[in-house]
Amino acid sequence: MRSFPLLSSCVAALSSFASAELNHSQPLLSKQVLSGTFTPPQVFKNANLVRTTNLDKSYPRETINVIIENVDSKPQSEYYLPFESSLISNVGGFEAKDKKAPELGNFKVEVVEFDTESTTGFYLIHLPSPLAPKAQRTISITYSLLKSLSPVPAQISQADKQYLQYTFSAYTPSAYVTANQKTKLKFPNVDVPDYTTLPSELNAEKKTDPQRQGSTFTYGPYADIPAGASQPVTVRYESTKPVTHATLLERDIEISHWGGNLATEERYWLTNLGASLKTHFSRVEWQKSQYMNPPTTALKQINIPLAPGVLSPYFVDDIGNVSTSRFRPGARESTLELKPRYPIFGAWNYNFKIGWDAPLSTYLRKISGDSYILKVPFLEGPRMPEGVQYSRVNLRVILPEGATNVKFSTTVPLIDQSTTLHRTFMDTIGRTSLTLSAINLIDDFRDRDLIVTYDYPWTAGFRKPMVITLGMFALLAVVYVVGSVDTSIGKKKNA
Amino acid sequence: MAATEGDQFLKQATGPKTRGLLRVIILVLIAGAAVSSRLFSVIRFESIIHEFDPWFNFRATKYLVANGFYDFWDWFDDRTWHPLGRVTGGTLYPGLMVTSGVIYHFLRFLTLPVDIRNICVLLAPAFSGLTAFATYLLTNEMVSSPSAGLLAAAFMGITPGYISRSVAGSYDNEAIAIFLLVFTFFLWIKAVKLGSMFWGALTALFYGYMVSAWGGYVFITNLLPLHAFVLICMGRYSPRLYVSYTSWYALGTLASMQIPFVGFLPIRSSEHMSALGVFGLIQLVAFVEFVRAQLPSKQFQTLLRALVVLIFVVAVGGLVLLTVGGVIAPWTGRFYSLWDTGYAKIHIPIIASVSEHQPTAWPAFFFDLNLMIFLFPAGVYMCFRTLTDEQVFIVIYSVLASYFAGVMVRLMLTLTPIVCVAAAMAFSQILDTYLDAKTPKVDAKTAENGSSEPAKVAAAAVLSDGLRSTRNPLVGIYSYASRVTVVGFSAIYLLIFVLHCTWVTSNAYSSPSVVLASRLPDGSQHIIDDYREAYYWLRQNTPENAKIMSWWDYGYQIGGMADRPTLVDNNTWNNTHIATVGKAMSSKEEVSYPIMRQHEVDYVLVVFGGLLGYSGDDINKFLWMVRIAEGIWPEEVKERSFFTPRGEYRVDEGATDTMKNSLMYKMSYYNYNSLFPAGQAQDRVRNVRLPSEGPQLNVIDEAFTSENWIIRIYKVKDLDNFGRDHHSAVSFDKGHKKKRAAKRKGPKVLRVE
Repeated sequence: MRSFPLLSSCVAALSSFASAELNHSQPLLSKQVLSGTFTPPQVFKNANLVRTTNLDKSYPRETINVIIENVDSKPQSEYYLPFESSLISNVGGFEAKDKKAPELGNFKVEVVEFDTESTTGFYLIHLPSPLAPKAQRTISITYSLLKSLSPVPAQISQADKQYLQYTFSAYTPSAYVTANQKTKLKFPNVDVPDYTTLPSELNAEKKTDPQRQGSTFTYGPYADIPAGASQPVTVRYESTKPVTHATLLERDIEISHWGGNLATEERYWLTNLGASLKTHFSRVEWQKSQYMNPPTTALKQINIPLAPGVLSPYFVDDIGNVSTSRFRPGARESTLELKPRYPIFGAWNYNFKIGWDAPLSTYLRKISGDSYILKVPFLEGPRMPEGVQYSRVNLRVILPEGATNVKFSTTVPLIDQSTTLHRTFMDTIGRTSLTLSAINLIDDFRDRDLIVTYDYPWTAGFRKPMVITLGMFALLAVVYVVGSVDTSIGKKKNA
Repeated sequence: MAATEGDQFLKQATGPKTRGLLRVIILVLIAGAAVSSRLFSVIRFESIIHEFDPWFNFRATKYLVANGFYDFWDWFDDRTWHPLGRVTGGTLYPGLMVTSGVIYHFLRFLTLPVDIRNICVLLAPAFSGLTAFATYLLTNEMVSSPSAGLLAAAFMGITPGYISRSVAGSYDNEAIAIFLLVFTFFLWIKAVKLGSMFWGALTALFYGYMVSAWGGYVFITNLLPLHAFVLICMGRYSPRLYVSYTSWYALGTLASMQIPFVGFLPIRSSEHMSALGVFGLIQLVAFVEFVRAQLPSKQFQTLLRALVVLIFVVAVGGLVLLTVGGVIAPWTGRFYSLWDTGYAKIHIPIIASVSEHQPTAWPAFFFDLNLMIFLFPAGVYMCFRTLTDEQVFIVIYSVLASYFAGVMVRLMLTLTPIVCVAAAMAFSQILDTYLDAKTPKVDAKTAENGSSEPAKVAAAAVLSDGLRSTRNPLVGIYSYASRVTVVGFSAIYLLIFVLHCTWVTSNAYSSPSVVLASRLPDGSQHIIDDYREAYYWLRQNTPENAKIMSWWDYGYQIGGMADRPTLVDNNTWNNTHIATVGKAMSSKEEVSYPIMRQHEVDYVLVVFGGLLGYSGDDINKFLWMVRIAEGIWPEEVKERSFFTPRGEYRVDEGATDTMKNSLMYKMSYYNYNSLFPAGQAQDRVRNVRLPSEGPQLNVIDEAFTSENWIIRIYKVKDLDNFGRDHHSAVSFDKGHKKKRAAKRKGPKVLRVE
């Protein structure tokens, strides 16, 4: 028993060595804490900045396209983007790339934070190559802000429309002087009852902000905004849709070489962050409204698209099977339609577990000798027009017993990774399992892949039959020995 | 059946080893049949814990697995019987949970990731296989024919009388107790036969296990002494009996006292006194026997006999005095109801309100035992014919168990094993007689008697010479036609028996009752899952410590599925507390509200079947609530006032005012009429049209109603912010046609938990 932790630490050490060789296995996201007096060096200038905030889904997605210019005398490669420290923990899926050359891939980014006292935190973008003095580069930064929409009013009736409120700064937060900038807001519809109006003096073209065009609002352009300037703006718009939020998603992918099977299990802790019910839930009203099927803030159904060829799905929660689910297998895509036990209104929770099997051959390939390569989606989960946000995703890939030399690569920003042993189903040394954690993900990450390579010698596959055979023999031997012991007290009759 | 034929057929050609192997294979097949016939509910629904009590056992098992044995032993549960709590560790039979826990840890040791729920669900079927094996052993001790044992095992495996309590998911004490019962009896018979201390000690060991598993252990505690007593009275005292009884009693009593719930009952309660008395008696008898062996004087013996009777009388008299004096605990109510079926109804409505405590209806015997009920007397009669020590046991067991099964539906369970044994003995006698391929040779002696005709020979097989028969009657059948006829009909009966058992199991005993099944118009199965819908809603969307008030039937389920504290549950240890809930349900809102406030009730849960026609709802149970409440507060709750002057129990327009104003009525029908066109509201259980004006609720709010309205949950309102009573607050809100003020009145300030 003693040797298991030792072995596991060896494997872990091995894998971390191994993963250092792979290009992407360094996490794209890391964190460093700087002293409270830090201000980014003023080495850049934002020549032109366009920010697009998309409010279609139940979380804002922001895209910042910015032309940066090196105003320093030396080549520079570190670009800072500030966030309020209350906001920075909700920034999800932060990615930066070269707008002109997307083939370069995502830049390496880091979270830079002051001591807990500070009100500002930074994302630090490392440009792949230093920018020469006076040179310009167009970078595109995308991220989402989770949990940043609040329902106003916070309590509504069951059939009421829901309004979400979003507060941001009309001046895009920047650590550098911005020569020219504007912000576009895309709403899901034209019902925007409240928004902050900015006086025309601020605007470079002397227009009163915002400028409305259908469901799109524009704030700006603004000229020569200094670093750190802010101009708070609040908008409130109609969005009678559930705000689906998973506080935690645990995802297990288990590989069986013997069974040729890839088993997936996902455990969700869902909450609807939408407006809660003013009065209590009324079944009568709900049943009546079901004939008309109006938009509602309640989450009635969850559709989870799965890969074709998926078998034997299940949908259970803490107290057993939920019979109200439907599985539609298809040639291109299978769909798992889940209906929770009750409609999930604002502030209501629902925990559940789903799982399915899939043929391993679709996901696993032998590359050479004993080496295998596995390609699985990092995130599956619901696909819904209103979107889903995940506060934390723990993915565990359980490789067969005896798999070594585990390396992985993914484009999803991770916060934690480890390789441990997982013992189940009469394992002797335990299965190598790779655990990856990510925070603040959104459903857009559905199509990101995780690629894992590992070595699995063919002899390892025979470990379990051998162990079981030996165990049975040992058991029979013990039974035989015990059975032949004479325990009688009296003397034998035929002695 | 085919197996027995094979057995017979192979008898000549093969050695005992082959027969032994065949027997093992047959027993394994029987165990397989026993297990698989109990899986209907798993296949039809899912692996789920059934009904009510199993949910507690399941919850306790989870607690045991999570916290270890010692914590389980000391478990004080503050999430039931709020605010009293329950000393759960000291008031339960831990055998079942410990068994599951041991299995769980064993599987974990083998690193098999089996969910504790699946162990609990499948425990009863697994043990039914063992019960079949134990029945085989017990029957084998009774008769020489091995086919009787196999038949008994097969009967035990599939008889509905036992399946009713051991389908997959019915995770109750009986699940393992019946196996222990039968096995303890087997060990006892073995001990009596051999006079072995070893078997006596084994009996005690399994008796101890039985005590830890089920309150029905008292049946063994009384049956074994009775057996010993009857044997002594029959003049069959022997050192074998002495050794086996004393070793069982001494060790078994010590073992039973290890269970906290039993504690000192074995020496203090009346139910255990017979065992103690017989223990004393057997010492006296042994002493007398010893003295008689030393002094063979007839007069002395008579004197001693008189002495024995005297001591016995003194002992019984002392027992009675001690009982009256209060040293020995008097009989419990449940015990009285065993002798007087009307007792509970008058004195303890809470016992009478449980359907399984009702007297058995006669068809139930046929329903649960089918053809065995006819064979049972024949088997018992056969025991009378030879009447060895162990067959005396069968006779006593049959008589006692038949009586108890007639008194209480639940005790059909203790009758079933003996019916299987006796029926198998009778049936195997028929088969052994008619399947023997040899033509009987007529002894010269018999020929002289002139009974050479086959009919008379056959008659001799059936009609014996009575109890003291020492002659073996000549048994044999000449005509193949009669053989084929009898064997053929027997086979048909057995097949019908199997069909009946399967049908009963599938239709009557395989519903989890938590999940209901119905058929859609296209014939596909539709699952009505309202219970779990509401329980899960409670579990997910109410504060961790929200107190739920419901009728006690649902206490265990709320504890198990919703994981919320309850006021009362199926443990029913405190009648007053249950009556309090009954009073809250059956009184007016103004009376109920203070009760609910005092008990810190946050939510009230009622079961309402009116929309779906689900008859097991709270309105149908309502009278029991009223009766139990009336038992404590006869002045405030009166059963009579819930009936119309003509003595009808009505819920429609003609219902009495007390009925219409009771909280239960209001909660059941609140808002119900808005589902229907005006004046058309229909209760599909009672089949009546409801008043056009629905009831108004002032002190509670509807919080959740499940899809088919089976479960309705109400939130108890806080005190009014302006200090008004709720009635005027509600009417104020209505009168001004304002929208209702927000129900959430900010943080609670009155109570600090």
